[in-house]
Amino acid sequence: MKIKVIVSVIVSAVLVLACTVGPIAATLIYESYLTRDLTAEIITRSPEKGNYSPRFLSVPVGEKVKLRIRNVDTVVHGFAIPALQVDAGEIKAGHSVTLEFTPEKIGKYDFYCTVWCSEHHLQMRGVLEVTAQ
Amino acid sequence: MPEQNNQQQKLLGLIPLNWRFDLTSVPGVRWLLKRRWFPMIAILINMLVFMIILTSGIMGGFSSGNYSFGVMIVWILWWVMLMMFLVPVLSRTWCMICPLPSFGEWLQRLRIFGVNNKLRGLNLKWPRRLRNMWVMNFLFLGTTFFSGFFTVKPLATFFLLGGIIALGIVLSLIFEKRSFCLYVCPVSGFQGLYANMAMTEIRVKDPNICAKHKNKTCETGNKNGYGCPWLLQPHSFERNTYCGMCLECFKTCPFDNMAFNLRPPGPDLLVNKGRGLDEAFKGFIMLGIAVMFYVAMMGPWGGIKEWVRGATLRGWLSFVGVHTVFCLVLIPGIFLVTAWLSKLASGQKEVSLKTVFVNLSYCIIPLGLAAWIAFSFGFLLPNASYILHIISDPFSRGWNLVGTANFPWTPVATGWLIPLQFITLLVGYLVSADFGYKLVCQTYADPAAAKRGFIPLLVFLTLVIISFGWLYGG
Ligand code: SF4
Ligand SMILES: [Cu+2]
Repeated sequence: MKIKVIVSVIVSAVLVLACTVGPIAATLIYESYLTRDLTAEIITRSPEKGNYSPRFLSVPVGEKVKLRIRNVDTVVHGFAIPALQVDAGEIKAGHSVTLEFTPEKIGKYDFYCTVWCSEHHLQMRGVLEVTAQ
Repeated sequence: MPEQNNQQQKLLGLIPLNWRFDLTSVPGVRWLLKRRWFPMIAILINMLVFMIILTSGIMGGFSSGNYSFGVMIVWILWWVMLMMFLVPVLSRTWCMICPLPSFGEWLQRLRIFGVNNKLRGLNLKWPRRLRNMWVMNFLFLGTTFFSGFFTVKPLATFFLLGGIIALGIVLSLIFEKRSFCLYVCPVSGFQGLYANMAMTEIRVKDPNICAKHKNKTCETGNKNGYGCPWLLQPHSFERNTYCGMCLECFKTCPFDNMAFNLRPPGPDLLVNKGRGLDEAFKGFIMLGIAVMFYVAMMGPWGGIKEWVRGATLRGWLSFVGVHTVFCLVLIPGIFLVTAWLSKLASGQKEVSLKTVFVNLSYCIIPLGLAAWIAFSFGFLLPNASYILHIISDPFSRGWNLVGTANFPWTPVATGWLIPLQFITLLVGYLVSADFGYKLVCQTYADPAAAKRGFIPLLVFLTLVIISFGWLYGG
């Protein structure tokens, strides 16, 4: 009798934890696994709603850069660094794009939005600085 | 004419309203409904989904509403499923598998699967004056004030659902059993209202068996299950309105006298018991909200959209004002005039105006439900394909769980949208008129008086359908 009670308490507790804390933990673990070698994440919003965030980024020359561009806005945005031949294409609302490239030259490079997203679209830009190691 | 009872009536003159098929006569069904782990397993799975929704509400950031998992699942999938399928076909099966009140209920029971009829908590009785739908009416109407935020801001959806869960826990610790579900939950009232139209019901098989059963275990509970958590008397169910389909009565009935019936839609509308102004107003409010939502979300008036979205405080307050007056004053007001004219035309002095008003109000339920289904089509067809994306990438983090993250957004069959909406509304109108006539006959004893009293009601329903036609077509 006692054993039965203990077993049922344990089973219930495990089930409840699995269905409540479980999905949250799984989400966090999976997300941190996916982002383990990410250099940075850039959030995109139209300029009047906050612009790129961050708008300034510094990376060492000759090392692989992995960027995730995450569009949390309600309109399509883009992300391009023409001088480095990087272009994410259209990033739809609620979508993310991951980019990988290796900058070979020191310097400051502009990145900007390639989609006419709002009347302030032209201000939607930022700078990637490539520094000496 | 003697009052026709449900026994002889037919829906639209075709389907006898007393037709029933007991699903538990199918082998295995009763066995399943009597298991202690059912529907608890479904609740747990559902809870898992809700946790993902809540997580995505937080992780979804502040703005990318239309595309967040939580927003899409809750407001596209869940809402549409409730209105188009769960409630009209399966009555309150949502409540059967709803995880929102479970934490509170587990705390009362200190069990998840097992039975313990000594419930914890203060177990207070719900205040007598609030034992009706009014709290839910106002809470639901109040919730719709913020509809412009829920669909764009994942965080708002998080706070709404989180708030419901938290309130459920608190109230479960103070009041007995499912008082929260019965009198407070905003999702509860409209399900109860439209469940009258459902094509399933839980009823007793043979009332004589119940009459002889002295200690009514479906009310009090026994070692196999809890006494009705919804504080009802399963042995005398006549309407679906307040039955949350938790299935405890299947477990506690020692004679296997409970049935899960298939039936034609609507017989509960004719049950002349338990009716009241609170339920009548629920019907008006739901009709009003259906109109308002359509105007705000799909109508051509951008200005109103801005109001609802709360671009400016003044605009939003105007929306709240107009919306409230429309639902609580205008529609009921027009209906009051209708009821008054109906009474006048019938020439029946001994029936009170209140009785006419309340009785006849039940005939707008089919039309209201149809309006919601038509409205839901407008959500579903354009957006359904997006569900594939969010299932693969629930937190907008560039995931691709099941490989459908890049499925393009493809509205389906949008050419069919308007015809489908019209057909739905038309069916709703016909069924409403049909029940309207039956209700008039029930209200005025004399058939000739009933015929006269029906005319204003028919005019009202026709005006409603014409304005819907104008709204949806224009
Ligand atoms: S009344 Fe509300 S909380 Fe209770 S089961 Fe139904 S939807 Fe869930
Ligand atoms: Cu942009």
